[in-house]
Parts: sequence; C-alpha cells; structure tokens
Amino acid sequence: MINPLVNLFSYGCIGIGLLFWFWGTAFLPSRRSVLFKLHMLSIADTLGSMAILLGLLLKRPQEWPLLVLAIISLAIWNTVLGYVLAYCSTTEATHD
Amino acid sequence: MSWILIAMILALLIPIYEACKDENIWQKMLAFASIASKTAMISLFVSVLRDDWMLGAVAVIILSVGNAGLMLLAHVIKRVSQA
Repeated sequence: MINPLVNLFSYGCIGIGLLFWFWGTAFLPSRRSVLFKLHMLSIADTLGSMAILLGLLLKRPQEWPLLVLAIISLAIWNTVLGYVLAYCSTTEATHD
Repeated sequence: MSWILIAMILALLIPIYEACKDENIWQKMLAFASIASKTAMISLFVSVLRDDWMLGAVAVIILSVGNAGLMLLAHVIKRVSQA
C-alpha cells in the first residue's frame, strides 16, 4: 500500500520543483532589475531543485548519502552565490 | 520519467537564451548561475534514471565547486569595473 503513495508523493515533489523552475526562470528574459531576477532565481533554482531532489530521494532511498549531500551543497552554495552576486552587482556607492 | 527530463531541458533553454541575448554582464552572470545549477540537477536526474552513481557524484561536485568558480568570477568583474 505504501509504494504507490510514495511514488505519488515523489512525483508530486518533482512536479512542484519543475513548477518553481519554470516560474522563477520565466522572469529571466524580462526587463527587471538584477536583484529582482536574483531573488526569483534563488527561489526557482534553490527551492525548486531541492523539491526535485526530495522527489528523487523518495524514488531511490538507498542512495540517500549522495542525494542528501546534493541537497546540502545546493542549499549552501546557491545561497552564498546569490549573496555574492547581489553584493558584487550593486553599485559601489552603496557599499563604500 | 523522460517527460520530466524533457521539461527540465526546456527550462534550461530559458537562461541559455537570456545569456545569449543580454548585454549587461550581471544579467549574463545570473543566467550562467542558473544554467550551472540546472545542468547539475539534470545530470543528477539522469543518474537516478540510469542508476549510474558516478554521474551522480559528478553532479554533486558541479553543484559545490561550480558555484565557487562563479563567485570568484563575480569578484573579478567587480574589481575590473572599479579600476
């Protein structure tokens, strides 16, 4: 009884992740500011990818070390990259 | 599962289009950052499909080391634009 439920939940997570991907990335070609797009991308790429990884984790629980490592490094490095891009792209006047 | 892979590749095309189109260096950096994490996710997804965990290890390495490279590049661009 559990297997169909786990399968359904894993496809649900992957579907939500894909939704975040398309929703956050759709703003990229628009004429908005760098920081706005960065915020949208951090939602899309970080949260969306983590939802997809959660779906994959449910599909392959025996590979949990690698997938948990991917979730952790995704969460840390995407967030830090977003901070560095925001810091470097804003004009010098606001920082020095 | 392959339709999910096709949808992921379609989502990858958007930042590739943005990276080609936009002239502003920071908009291009955003697009490259998005391409990097999306390609790593796609290769991780393919590794689950094929049950080939060498590919999965490569994807996790891309997720951590690839972003570090982009961070260094962002600082170099900032210094060059200040000079």
